[in-house]
Amino acid sequence: MPLKLKTKDKHIKKLAEIVNGPKSILYLKEDLLAYDCDGFTIHRHMPKAVVFPKNTEEVAAIVKYCASHNLPFLARGAGTGLSGGAIPINEEVIISLVRMKRLVHVDLENRRAVVEPGFVNLKLTNSISEKGYYYAPDPSSQYCCTIGGNVAENAGGAHCLKYGVTTNHILGLEVVLPNGEIIEISSDGIPDAPGYDLLGLLTGSEGTLGIVTKITVRILKNPEAKQTVLAYFDKVSDGSYAVSDIISAGIVPAALEMMDKIAIEGVEAASFPVGHPKDIAALLLIEVDGIEAGIDEQIKEILEVCKKRNVREVKVAQNEQERARWWANRKTGFGAMGAISPDYLVQDGVIPRSKLPEVLERINQVSEEVGLRIANIFHAGDGNLHPLVLFDSRKPGETEKALKAGTACLKACADVGGSITGEHGVGIEKMEEMRFVFNEEEIQAQTAIREVFNPKNLLNAGKIFPSPGRCVEIKKEMKATSVKSEEKLLEFS
Amino acid sequence: MVVKEFISELRTAFPDVEMEQAQTNCDLGNNGYVHVYPKSEDEIVTILQYANEHGKKIVVQGNGSKKGFGGEKETADILLSLSKYKGIVEHGAGDMTVTVKSGTSFQELQEFLSEYKQQVSLDPSWPKYASIGGVIASNDSGPKRLGYGSARDAVIGLRIIYPDGTIIRSGGKVVKNVAGYDMNKMYIGSMGTLGVFTEVTLKLRPLPKKESVVLISFPEGSFEDIHAFAVKILDSMMEPVSLEFLNPSLAQKLIGKKQFTLAISFEDVESSVDYQVKMIQDMKPDQTTLSILLDNEELQSFWNQLYSISPNGVEGNLETKETEACLKVGVKNLSVLNVIRDGQMLQDSHNLVVTAHGGLGHGICQLNLKGAREDVASVITNLCQIVGRLKGYVIIKHAPLSLRQEINVWGDKPTYLFLMEGIKSKIDPNHVLNEKRFLGGI
Repeated sequence: MPLKLKTKDKHIKKLAEIVNGPKSILYLKEDLLAYDCDGFTIHRHMPKAVVFPKNTEEVAAIVKYCASHNLPFLARGAGTGLSGGAIPINEEVIISLVRMKRLVHVDLENRRAVVEPGFVNLKLTNSISEKGYYYAPDPSSQYCCTIGGNVAENAGGAHCLKYGVTTNHILGLEVVLPNGEIIEISSDGIPDAPGYDLLGLLTGSEGTLGIVTKITVRILKNPEAKQTVLAYFDKVSDGSYAVSDIISAGIVPAALEMMDKIAIEGVEAASFPVGHPKDIAALLLIEVDGIEAGIDEQIKEILEVCKKRNVREVKVAQNEQERARWWANRKTGFGAMGAISPDYLVQDGVIPRSKLPEVLERINQVSEEVGLRIANIFHAGDGNLHPLVLFDSRKPGETEKALKAGTACLKACADVGGSITGEHGVGIEKMEEMRFVFNEEEIQAQTAIREVFNPKNLLNAGKIFPSPGRCVEIKKEMKATSVKSEEKLLEFS
Repeated sequence: MVVKEFISELRTAFPDVEMEQAQTNCDLGNNGYVHVYPKSEDEIVTILQYANEHGKKIVVQGNGSKKGFGGEKETADILLSLSKYKGIVEHGAGDMTVTVKSGTSFQELQEFLSEYKQQVSLDPSWPKYASIGGVIASNDSGPKRLGYGSARDAVIGLRIIYPDGTIIRSGGKVVKNVAGYDMNKMYIGSMGTLGVFTEVTLKLRPLPKKESVVLISFPEGSFEDIHAFAVKILDSMMEPVSLEFLNPSLAQKLIGKKQFTLAISFEDVESSVDYQVKMIQDMKPDQTTLSILLDNEELQSFWNQLYSISPNGVEGNLETKETEACLKVGVKNLSVLNVIRDGQMLQDSHNLVVTAHGGLGHGICQLNLKGAREDVASVITNLCQIVGRLKGYVIIKHAPLSLRQEINVWGDKPTYLFLMEGIKSKIDPNHVLNEKRFLGGI
């Protein structure tokens, strides 16, 4: 029986048939509005349709159909990405993977789990925590972002300093290639499969090489103990030096986070204040985990380092509640900026740790040059900065200024040998900034790989790599559009 | 081709590059009529461009420890040796990163870093010969990958020369980086088939404040006890850096006990290591013997012996009539027990020596075979069947050329081989580099 759809579009009718009915497809303008952007809200575009496959075969059938009819398409998880990787700039058919959300298999003895791409990151840890295990990558959006999206973006998080980012925890993938073919790479999760490391290449490819439909991840045993330290500094430079000193002392903390004065003002004004002093210049949030017998020794050393670097006050979390409060305060840091500024723009540069004082100084200069406040919240341990440019889009010219400041911050990172993105991805946001770190030949070397997987470039085209015409176009549009903090429903680091 | 003419042609083309005509061939193949020893990146670029334009084939090597790894040819036109392209380029002690020229031996690199109480947390075979470029190109790893991961976890940047002479940088100098595709991963383990690494940037770890290895030897026939004990350790709060299972032949060489033995190592602050060693002592199953390596000399000697148990391409074994081979086997973590046990059984049923070890926390095993050629070949075939049933893979890391020409070094072709072939043909369309040295004849 033909499906009852309020459209005459033959492609939509056919796609609806593939996913078995009208409840698994959206195609009306009012329904599509929610899919015109992801966590990067400065640029918006309407998709052709959104389909919700239930299994790999449906994904493959959709992809085959799109490929044979030259319809652009892309995959989407929870839509929390911060660089616009899931924005349908070519009026794509969005393949939403949120209904593929099963935890397929857990093998504690061999320390691995198999999940579908729509499975939410934190749910995995919650499903195995009773047995004493967890999944390490912890982006701040972990309570709602999907593991499929994490694979696409090679997501990081606060605890990646010790345990690595997503790519270090992916053991196997089932992938639907852009021609609809299904391949399985190391589906048993055995490392070092013979041949080029396609797992490594696919992870972090921002949904441009294939659509991941099943993921085998490594799971870890919970550390026996952890302790968390909060340290307040009167000078940013003292805090920065303390970061280097802790690492140089041979300690590998599980997390080592920093916030500056403006960031602290924000988090204290938002939903999870912890009573940080208002007049300090910087705070460090340091977590050490591992064997209980070894933790005290490390904490003692951290306290000594902080004292040597003129810390005003330093304290160790007395219980799990206190620790949780400190982390909630930090992990909601981006959204908290909404409490002190109508709009903000988040950046994601990375620098060699030793350049922290120098780069923070440069960011300060940028702030003065453009006349906008910039808050800094960052994963100091691995040099991953998140400058938050505060602005008011209602004031003419401020959005442009904010974008300019963001780019200048990334340039400052690239200039000291760093990178333009540590965990948010390039997406459409930082395509032009790719030129800060790669030359034309190096960009071509990467697009050559895309041609192998995605020769017709129908899958998520126009992302990551700068191509002159397109970039200018998007930058123009970005300047013309304003961004509202309250619109940013999904704001995370 | 007359080699003399060829070398004079090369001398004209690269008057400044050190080169020599190949000496006697060894039985491992992967040779070159002419050996060139570039000392600068420019020289490497021009040699590659020359070969690419003149239809010449190049074999790339560091110091040659992996000469017996892959490849079906006796010799290519040029052997490009990186043994004279070495040294530290940049060490960010505070950033805990190092950039090093690819021909630097792993041991030299570690010795340099140890002055700063830092290390590259990899433990490949034959550190005194293995160049860092070769370790990364072959994705070699050792028992400590349980605690520290493998090359793909340690490499943060590469500088690689494509066959057409293009210099490509991948990654960077920072420990966290998602700008563009993660090209490092593709180059790691690519066996020199995509380009020549000139520089490798690695993230470093502090040298551990204390290290200890606990050795537990099990009586014969206690396989179930070993399994149960391993699971108990893996499910505990302990954080061993390695949990390596040694077969009796290897245990006899290393510690003089011809028994299945677990080598459990810890690296951390002193109180943590002591606590965990004590825990293992308390858990020790009945009828096993336990010994602890604590002092530096003992530890060094244990690891050094373990890292030099496999055959290598530098020392060769031309004097002996015995055939040597080394296999890398990947299986699920606990299936390592089966592989090592069956490897020992094959030693007993064939007339050869199998020294074997495998990591119960990561699933990678190494089996070294030494004996008559037909026995070695037969054991390899048997092991491939056993590992196939465990859904794992076997890679032949070292074998004489004649054996490699008979036995498939990389195992079955995956269904997605076409993607790998596509990558190869984008980067090296003329198949200049390490021809047929990799999976599926790439």
